[in-house]
Amino acid sequence: MKIVACYSNKGGVGKTATSVNLAHALARAGRRVLLCDLDPQGASGFYFRVKPSKKLGDDRFFTDVKRFTDAIRGSDFDGLDILPANMSFRDFDIFLSRMKNSRSRLKKALKAAQGDYDVVLLDCPPNISALSENVFRASDAVVVPVIPTTLSERTFEQLVDFFRDEKLPRKKIVAFFSMAQATKKLHAETAERLRKAHPKRFVDVTVPFSTEVEKMGVHRAPVATFAKSSPATEAYDALWRAVAERL
Amino acid sequence: MSETFITDGAGGAALRRVGVGKARVVPRGDEERAPATLHDTFDGALAAAGLLLVAAGDGLWLVGLPEGPVHQADAEPGFVQDMNEGPVTAALRPRVPALRRLIPVADATLARQAMALIDDEGKTLVRVAVCAVSTGHGSATVLTLSPLRGYDRPHARLRAALDPLGDPEAALTALRPPAMRYTAKPPVDIAADMPARKAATLLARTHLSVARANERGIVADHDTEFLHDYRVNLRKVRSVVSLFTGVWSEKDTTRLKDRFRALMAPTGPLRDLDVHLLDRDRYMEMVPEALRPGIVALFDDFAKERAAAQAALARHLESDDYAREAAALEALLASAKRLKPGPAADVPVAPFAQDLIWSRYRKVCKRAARIDDATPDEEVHALRIHCKKLRYLMEFFAPVFGPSEVKPLVKALKGLQDTLGAFNDAAVQQDALRAVLERLPRRGAARIEIATSIGALLTVLAQRQAEGRARVASSFAAFDSPETRAGFADLFHRGKEAA
Repeated sequence: MKIVACYSNKGGVGKTATSVNLAHALARAGRRVLLCDLDPQGASGFYFRVKPSKKLGDDRFFTDVKRFTDAIRGSDFDGLDILPANMSFRDFDIFLSRMKNSRSRLKKALKAAQGDYDVVLLDCPPNISALSENVFRASDAVVVPVIPTTLSERTFEQLVDFFRDEKLPRKKIVAFFSMAQATKKLHAETAERLRKAHPKRFVDVTVPFSTEVEKMGVHRAPVATFAKSSPATEAYDALWRAVAERL
Repeated sequence: MSETFITDGAGGAALRRVGVGKARVVPRGDEERAPATLHDTFDGALAAAGLLLVAAGDGLWLVGLPEGPVHQADAEPGFVQDMNEGPVTAALRPRVPALRRLIPVADATLARQAMALIDDEGKTLVRVAVCAVSTGHGSATVLTLSPLRGYDRPHARLRAALDPLGDPEAALTALRPPAMRYTAKPPVDIAADMPARKAATLLARTHLSVARANERGIVADHDTEFLHDYRVNLRKVRSVVSLFTGVWSEKDTTRLKDRFRALMAPTGPLRDLDVHLLDRDRYMEMVPEALRPGIVALFDDFAKERAAAQAALARHLESDDYAREAAALEALLASAKRLKPGPAADVPVAPFAQDLIWSRYRKVCKRAARIDDATPDEEVHALRIHCKKLRYLMEFFAPVFGPSEVKPLVKALKGLQDTLGAFNDAAVQQDALRAVLERLPRRGAARIEIATSIGALLTVLAQRQAEGRARVASSFAAFDSPETRAGFADLFHRGKEAA
């Protein structure tokens, strides 16, 4: 079981869209995926039409294995389950460390219908905190969507600095360009500069800015379900392959 | 875990009306509809297991398993052991007897439609696979419910809503044309106070009709069970005629005996060859490797003979003479009054049956008790015949004495019969092989090879016969237990002990 965090220290970069579409692409490729909705604002569960459970606000949540596993909901897609969470993060550290410990009750309880999950995907809240550090430590890969703008460039640098300062393995960072607009000269220039500065951090994936991705809110479904051959769908497929390569 | 429900043809429509709180059932995607052929064994082994096997343009569909419809592209229905490996074949294997062929039952339409129970947000709570099979005779809908993780409650409520939908057995039976609604052992309603002649007529008529239902399958040569069932049922008719003494006039009884013996006689050669050929693997195992080519040659001959015997029997069964005679016998048994009554015609069934069974039981015990290592084989054979007659009588009259009361006694008897059967089979097979030896050409390498192999088989069979023979005494001792004795006396000698 691999843990993949979808993370951005800046809001509005398409992080939740990334979580939803990446989870869906992995499941379509035959992986068993558990998508944990940890971002109360992102609400990846919303895109899968999963109603938030009343139980989930409870602090005891992450310490109670049964409550945790009972809260898991099957999505409409084979091999993709959702943990619709809207919780406080007091015990999230414990949750993470237990998830990594193969002998823990949590790890044992955390099984998909057909066996272990191949990938646990965390849709993380957008801030750098003590929590984030634990997420980074527990994860096998940290997927970071970056809009090729000057502002995003700076936040990305901050993230890389944070990894360096905290002696976190920077190779966990899997960055890609999100919401990129081919017509904008600035986007192209920033992307080129960032690739040059962080050749090992960026994978060769660019998810274009697209109305299809925006329409996910209307369809309440991953983009591949209603726009099968759109550039965005292809980009998310390329993204899961790039992530899988790093795992 | 998913599970499957069978409902009648209206099941799919009823599903759309099911409401579970705010959730409702909606179709997901288009219905896929294809012409197909429904298959099953003649005796409906799949239907009895709640399954439908449908051959469509894209291969085989097996519908009704708890996990939902199973598909295999490259398989043709037949004997399961001859079918290509795959998910359908694997699911069929434990459910279809090896001796039965899967044959076309009816032309059908297969309609598949994915549906889902969704909540007010459009989220799927339970997946429902709908598979409807309709023939010109009826239709059945098979619903497979697959709950999604975390939605146990709506699943339970949908289940509960579906529970009262239709009678699965009736729906599956309705798919079959009347000629394919075969029951090898239909219940015969015999009441304790029914006159013996009426009971005899009812039993004979029922078994004759079961036998006749197999005619077409024998002619088509689908599998060997048709002939087997045909013969078993004619033998039962003959047992009724010969064992129910005094229900018909002596003259009529003799005529019936002769006519039914004649009706069955042409089936003997084919059945003997079937039995040999079905035993092929066992024969092969009986002899050492070096002698197996001889067995192969022998069985090639058997197979050729069988083809000729089958063709001959098929011609006979399709002849006007046969049709006339079978119809005439049916007419004789159509009413209890067609045949002249004998002295026991009006005796109520219960005392009539008690007398028959009790005296047969006494005969079995007397003869069995006499058997030791020195007893001639003929007496062992005679005991076997008495046991068989006793068994038939007990089964014929089980409804009168209560099937659950009779069952343990039949089971005890069966133990003894198995031993006697092993003894007899070995003897019969030896006779048959000796007959083959005599028919072999006078010279030639093939003759020597076959003769050597038969020699080896005869040795093994003689040994088996001796083993069976040695077990008779102990098998009878097991049958002759105080409980079984008390059971026979209680059921079949009630109130007569004192007299």
